[in-house]
Amino acid sequence: MAPLNHYIILATIIFSLGVIGFVTRRNALILFMSVELMLNSINLMLVAFSRFKADMAGQVMAIFIYAVAAAEVAVGLAILIAISRHIKEIDVTKFNLLKW
Amino acid sequence: MDLIFWFFAFMAVSAGLLTITAKDPLPCALSLMSVFIAFSGLYLHLHAPLMAIFQVTIYAGAILVLVLFVMMLLTTPGERLKSIQKNVPFRIMGAQLGLCLTALLGFGMKGISDLVVQARLPDGFGHPSSFGTLFFKDYLLHFEVASVLLLVALVGSIYLGKKSL
Repeated sequence: MAPLNHYIILATIIFSLGVIGFVTRRNALILFMSVELMLNSINLMLVAFSRFKADMAGQVMAIFIYAVAAAEVAVGLAILIAISRHIKEIDVTKFNLLKW
Repeated sequence: MDLIFWFFAFMAVSAGLLTITAKDPLPCALSLMSVFIAFSGLYLHLHAPLMAIFQVTIYAGAILVLVLFVMMLLTTPGERLKSIQKNVPFRIMGAQLGLCLTALLGFGMKGISDLVVQARLPDGFGHPSSFGTLFFKDYLLHFEVASVLLLVALVGSIYLGKKSL
């Protein structure tokens, strides 16, 4: 059984990969995938803590994160389709309609 | 040495790297799927079989298929975006942010984890029956709120997907 620290370091690395992807990529779809990476790393941490404290509440919290992630992806992708209908682009550096 | 952990951890980190570095969105989505599969393996290893099933069905099944469908709607096969921002300050900021986050979160969480003593697992830990008892008894209100949230997201995404907004 790997100690809790290993799981924490793994989840931290995956979270940071998500943050780096979110800041450095330009494709809006890949930004969504980076957000998914971050949410997943939080889930891993919750489940790991729930295992090591022998308390199942962590798994229940992870289920709520699933619900939030599903809602976020559905609404976000709908917004992306609505935007790309207007400006025919999915490059986030081109989304500057509200800039002044 | 815990071989199962190291196998899935290596799989998750390498697939996560591929997710944020691949040029096309499609390899990104497929490597994201291997991250999800690796995580579900880790959940099984952590005595959470129900979470492993949800991980595969919800994430690798539903959310990823949704992303792939939108990819089919939005991008044509020849179209590629440059893999990362042209803007150099963005890249430097991303690298710094990642390093700082790893260090900060790692040290902070290590402090917490030193406080957690590994408890003995009670009988039925992680079984669907004990999970359901906890979920529908202690967290019933949270469950209802989550269902309202999903309903709102459903209505909102149908409205946003209309032809003429």
